Amino acid sequence: MWRDYSASFIKKNRVSSVSIMAAAFISALFLSLLCSLFFNFWNYEVERIILEEGDWQGRITGKVSEDDLSLLQNFANVEKVVVNEELSEEPEIVADVYFHNFRTIYQDMLLITEKLGLDADAASYHELLLSRYLIHDPQDKEPPLLMAFYLVILIIVSLSLILIIYNSFAVSMNARIHQFGIFSSIGATPGQICICLMQEAAVLCAVPILAGSIIGIGLSFGTIHVINLLAADASGRHEAVFRYHPLVFVAAILVSVLTVLISAWLPARKLSRLTPLEAIRNTGELRLKKKKQSRILSLLFGMEGELAGNALIAQKKALRTSRLSLTLSFLGFTVMLCFFTLSGISTNHTYFERYQDAWDVMVTVKDTGVENMNLLEEIRELQRVRSSVAYQKAEAVCSIPETDISDEVNALGGPGAVAGDFVTAGKGSCLVKAPVVIMDDAGFKEYCEQIGIVPEVSGTIVLNRIWDSINSNFRYKEYVPFIKEEQNTISLQNAGQGENPVEIPVLGFTREPPVLREEYANYALVQFIPLSVWKEIAGQIGNAEADTCIRVLGEDGIVLAELNALEADVVHVVSREYTVESENRIQEKVSDESMRKGSMLILGTFCALLALIGIANVFSNTLGFLRQRKREFAQYMSVGMTPGSMRKMFCIEALVIAGRPLLITLPLTVVFAGFMITASYLDPVEFLIKAPVVPIMIFILAVFGFVSLAYYIGGKRMLNCNLTDALRNDSAG
Amino acid sequence: MEILKCDGIRKVYGSGETCVTALDRIDLSVNKGEFVAIVGASGSGKSTLLHILGSVDQPTEGKVIVEGTDISTLNRTQSAIFRRRKVGLVYQFYNLIPTLTIRKNILMPLLLDKRKPNQEYFEQVVSTLGIADKLDFLPNQLSGGQQQRAAIARSLIYRPVLLLADEPTGNLDQKNSKEIMDMLKLSNRNLNQTILLITHDEKIALEADRIVTIEDGRIVSDHFHGSAEWHRGIL
Repeated sequence: MWRDYSASFIKKNRVSSVSIMAAAFISALFLSLLCSLFFNFWNYEVERIILEEGDWQGRITGKVSEDDLSLLQNFANVEKVVVNEELSEEPEIVADVYFHNFRTIYQDMLLITEKLGLDADAASYHELLLSRYLIHDPQDKEPPLLMAFYLVILIIVSLSLILIIYNSFAVSMNARIHQFGIFSSIGATPGQICICLMQEAAVLCAVPILAGSIIGIGLSFGTIHVINLLAADASGRHEAVFRYHPLVFVAAILVSVLTVLISAWLPARKLSRLTPLEAIRNTGELRLKKKKQSRILSLLFGMEGELAGNALIAQKKALRTSRLSLTLSFLGFTVMLCFFTLSGISTNHTYFERYQDAWDVMVTVKDTGVENMNLLEEIRELQRVRSSVAYQKAEAVCSIPETDISDEVNALGGPGAVAGDFVTAGKGSCLVKAPVVIMDDAGFKEYCEQIGIVPEVSGTIVLNRIWDSINSNFRYKEYVPFIKEEQNTISLQNAGQGENPVEIPVLGFTREPPVLREEYANYALVQFIPLSVWKEIAGQIGNAEADTCIRVLGEDGIVLAELNALEADVVHVVSREYTVESENRIQEKVSDESMRKGSMLILGTFCALLALIGIANVFSNTLGFLRQRKREFAQYMSVGMTPGSMRKMFCIEALVIAGRPLLITLPLTVVFAGFMITASYLDPVEFLIKAPVVPIMIFILAVFGFVSLAYYIGGKRMLNCNLTDALRNDSAG
Repeated sequence: MEILKCDGIRKVYGSGETCVTALDRIDLSVNKGEFVAIVGASGSGKSTLLHILGSVDQPTEGKVIVEGTDISTLNRTQSAIFRRRKVGLVYQFYNLIPTLTIRKNILMPLLLDKRKPNQEYFEQVVSTLGIADKLDFLPNQLSGGQQQRAAIARSLIYRPVLLLADEPTGNLDQKNSKEIMDMLKLSNRNLNQTILLITHDEKIALEADRIVTIEDGRIVSDHFHGSAEWHRGIL
């Protein structure tokens, strides 16, 4: 009987069934995508950790004999023991231990060390790897919680989906309160009613859950593929391989089923708990709990506005979820777009525009000093090379007498006022960082010419500037001279020891750095010195970085293909002798752009999916809302309301339902964007020019479009319904 | 044989200033096979009484004993099973499930109990009520009178101890009203069915064996057919 009843209801109420099926499909899709992505991210994490740190689980470090090792090997839960030759240093041995069941590793390792007669400290654990399997040291009060974090996200998403789907079920079930009252009055128990509704939900949702789960897997595969494509240029990243496990499918299905069943159970339980009297008296009409007036709507649209407002107030609770999901998705969508727009503007300012002419190809020569760069001539002779320079960086400090501090800095309150702790005050002098850029001699001479001094390689060029942090912000920096340009020499000291100063002749002071892709410290006296000078002082100053950089400038107007070819040529020359990493300016910009677009695509898809849920919810809710009000509209018609007035009511309601989330979101977005603009010191006009108006407008139109469509469909039915039938309301399917 | 006994039933809605006493110390006893009409003005409490007798609602105070069971102490599930097996309810607006056929609607109390219908009895009921040819129709394909017959058939299908009818003719024309009353009388006589009928129509009430009058939640008169009061036309 229940089967017949449900089948007949489903058949005669296709719209409400379709809305439930759509909600179940979307939630299964979302959850399956999430589970699959979660599994793949987890897998990738494990792979990355194993690649970087090895796959050992426990480690014993100490004086371990061959006998001990075989004892270890024979331990019941130990799968294998491998001596780590790389880390072992006589007389101590490092043995990597693998377990059959590594859930008990923290107990087993203690037993092992005890048995081997070693201290507990001899045992160490691959905590990062173990934490990915949710295995934590029981003694650790703050274990890594990444996995727990993922699980919490999954639970939060499930709960949000429950909230959203719940509404679809509630609309369909509430429309039948009267019918269930009849069932109850002739003896159906609350349990029977609840089971009937749950069975109905199961029948409606079985196929959508299956389809959603399968498509979710496909989407996850696509996402991994897109991530791989976008991150193809990221150095040192290992490619993610899509993986799937039947258990993930089972988990996704289980979570989806649970989500759908809870969503159905909530209204079903509420409905089954109604007394037959309450249920049978329910005519599906909207009732206001207390007198409330929609003054604005009433003022703007007259009686129709007041009626529409009252209906919306009476349905406040039912419309809450759709409003929430729509508001959140819209907020997420607009904030994300604003964030990416601002981040794009910022990256352009701080990187691409700033270094537009500073480099074309950069080659990092690993573990090699600039003194070994004897390939530069060959590079300079390559086709399309305009200029090239090799440089290495080192750290140093210098002591500046107070009398040498520039008038400009003194006028600002002295080095302490401008640079704070970055400058260490001493007796009559201050200690300042003096980063050293060691340039190959030819490149240094080129720099001398650039700043207009006689090219020679016997001293240093001082970048004499300090950021005026009082009168300018970090985005648009103003500089003032740091020191008076009176000294002929500068005394550099070892950055670590601060002793044995080396006097170097100053060839010149400048505020113009060489054409290099480098960001210089704000409160330091940067020294550009030729290799010849460095060779003399390297012993005292030291602290040179391990790698050397080669900056190559191509011909003017060089295009991507030419630059790629040039990069390949340079790498070809250098990699014959050294290990290198290379990048080129145009390719980097292209990659950055595609990474940014990729991130936007992924996050945007996420928001769009959220929005889809929101819109689907608004759609189903609006339709359900209208169906529920058949009798209400029949009553209006019976007292002479014209179809025109009813249409006006529909329009007002659609306007409010679609407009409210937007009205909440837009000011919040403006506040958020304003905050980001202020925090990043960007020019608001610059943001306004690039503001993501078009996608936001599309979103707004979609929301209005779907709500209007729902009202159009529901309203059309309403206007065509038979007045007598609607007023009687008993035969309404 | 006493089949129903109400002992000091009170029903109060709301509390404080908004408190309304719908029934005030109702004592009533009904024997098997009686046809009782409960009459009273609108708002007198007769429907509340019927709902309490049908275990659709619970009294605030007092006992309702049906066939030896105090139904005022039953929980929701027990109440539902009681309604299914012991009570047949007929409403003014039929209350048929619109998406089920007339056959399924009639058999619903049995089907809820996963019981097979007695085909002979089923046919007897539907043919007596004149809806044997309407069994495969949906409720909205029948007239009001036919729908009410189906509702009566549903209330009789479990051979209930009590048939409670709340203004069963209130939504019907004169001809259909008469037919429905004839059906109820027929089931009372032929099946010895105990019936409690709520009405505000004097003519309808006179068809019963006994008339109980309620005013402001209290029984103000209780007369049997053929008694002196009945003949004096106390109604």
